[in-house]
Amino acid sequence: MKKKNVISFALFIITLAVLPHLVSGYWQRVLTQTFLFASIAVGSNIIIGYTGYPAFGNIAFFGVGAYVTGVLTTKYNMAFVATLPFCALSGIVLAILLGIPILRLKGHYFAIATVGVMETIKELIDNMTELTGGGLGLTLPIMQGEPEHIYRFFYYAMLLCMLFALLLSYVISKVKLGYALRAIRVDEDAASVMGINTPLYKTFAWALSASAVGIAGGIYAYWLSYIDPHTVFVGTYSVKMFAMILLGGAGTVMGPLLGAFTLELISELIWSKFIAIHGMVLGLLIIFIILFIPKGMFETFKGGFSFRKLLTNLRENSL
Amino acid sequence: MIILQILINGLLLGAFYALIGIGFSLVWGVTNIINLSHGAIALLGAYLTFFLFQTFRLDPFLSIPVSFIAMFSFGYLLQRYLMNFVVKAQIFMLLILTFGLEIFLVNFMTTFFSADFRSVTPSYAGNSLVLGSIVIPYIRLAVFSICVIIAVAMALFLDKTWPGKAIKATSLDIEASMMSGINPAKIYALTFALGSGLAGVSGTLLTLTQAFSPSIAGGLTLRAFIVSILGGLGRIEGALIGGLLLGVLETFSSYLIGESYKNAIAFGLMVLVLIVKPSGLMGRKYYAEVKH
Repeated sequence: MKKKNVISFALFIITLAVLPHLVSGYWQRVLTQTFLFASIAVGSNIIIGYTGYPAFGNIAFFGVGAYVTGVLTTKYNMAFVATLPFCALSGIVLAILLGIPILRLKGHYFAIATVGVMETIKELIDNMTELTGGGLGLTLPIMQGEPEHIYRFFYYAMLLCMLFALLLSYVISKVKLGYALRAIRVDEDAASVMGINTPLYKTFAWALSASAVGIAGGIYAYWLSYIDPHTVFVGTYSVKMFAMILLGGAGTVMGPLLGAFTLELISELIWSKFIAIHGMVLGLLIIFIILFIPKGMFETFKGGFSFRKLLTNLRENSL
Repeated sequence: MIILQILINGLLLGAFYALIGIGFSLVWGVTNIINLSHGAIALLGAYLTFFLFQTFRLDPFLSIPVSFIAMFSFGYLLQRYLMNFVVKAQIFMLLILTFGLEIFLVNFMTTFFSADFRSVTPSYAGNSLVLGSIVIPYIRLAVFSICVIIAVAMALFLDKTWPGKAIKATSLDIEASMMSGINPAKIYALTFALGSGLAGVSGTLLTLTQAFSPSIAGGLTLRAFIVSILGGLGRIEGALIGGLLLGVLETFSSYLIGESYKNAIAFGLMVLVLIVKPSGLMGRKYYAEVKH
């Protein structure tokens, strides 16, 4: 990491740490939501960006994490913070169990299998009424204290979760695992010939990715204080996550983070202006990103903004 | 006797799934695009039928050609002026692009056609064929026959006509097909148009068998998905068998285990088929090999 980058990143974090004392409750909520998506995007980038496995249903771990916190706090009276390690663990265990069969699939087939897994888990949770409340949902204990204090608590909790995901992603990019994963993305057979145990590394990458996403789910559940299968297993979140990763640049450490900030803030601004057509604009925005900036903003606009680069990008993948 | 009734219900439902699956599987097999907006396009056809019935009292069966032509044109333009720009990108880009389109279309329909559940009920809706203790509604029987006829017609089109053969040739080897004078951009557009047209027809048939709203788009796409996986990509007979299998499986699992596990079982089966035989039960190797 260059010195300049370290300084700007430190400034960015200090700003975020100070912000809740300066901005209104509304913006605190918006930023908390942004951190949530950034955690999911940065965490999922480990399997999607580094390894090149399009885990379209990675939100499954988010939902499971949310339910782990939900069930542990309501049925076993555990403290919220104590449940978070279990959220990470649930992601890791699930990813390992699923990874052994599913990570043998490639491309489309892998993407679809993860969607199938997500829908199956969603329906199983929907049917485990005694434990999870099923379709009626689960009401979590509400945090005690001043509303102001609670807002800040979740703001910092989500910020820490995002930093955890970033740290994980950064460390992986620097160690042997990261190099192995990139080799797998470029050419899995060649990587295998080079002596990389590809199934092991892929499963490991997915497990780590799932742990970050699982923790985000746990915090989200406590923040929302009510969850049902449809609020935590959301297909739209998968797409938003993918759009964020692409917008920022897949396979980079900071890309998904910046993508998440850009997309979530744009989305929030649009949301507050045109509620009725929010979904339509989101759809168009995603189409626009794929057409014109599939390599990410930073790769595309390295030497400054220009429309010609957008057109070059458009031509590159056309028939 | 109840088992026979369930089996018949399953087959009747399955033919409809097969029709959704045929278009989806054709597009996937030939252009390598998983069209996540397939269900939304089917619903556009359904709304077209609904509004034609409401305003002009046009019989839903007569609006089949209308929705086919409308969605065929829509699909052609979509592929020619949107999808063709990204077909060579990594696969998950295409997934997200079509999902973006799905979000757009579903929200468009919710905004302009409302989120209410709609249905089309022609005067003959209640009539059934009664054979002993088995009851078969005439409408479902007609839907079944239309689905099978369209499947056969599609298979003949792909095997016997020049455009059909060109579609198959392009899916097998795009470079070689270009050398023999085929323009892949047009063939891709034609394939997507056919897929969308068939989606439109299945939307029309959907109005006759169940109530619909924009929210069911995802469910339809996922059904199409499972059918394609079960049957193998790009193969009409595969989609037909996959559809019938899914229909029978759904009705039987609803009866034996309960309605609420229907999706989990269907998805579980899909994942199992993916792991054991990724090319599908009927798939051949060269159709839609894993392209990166």
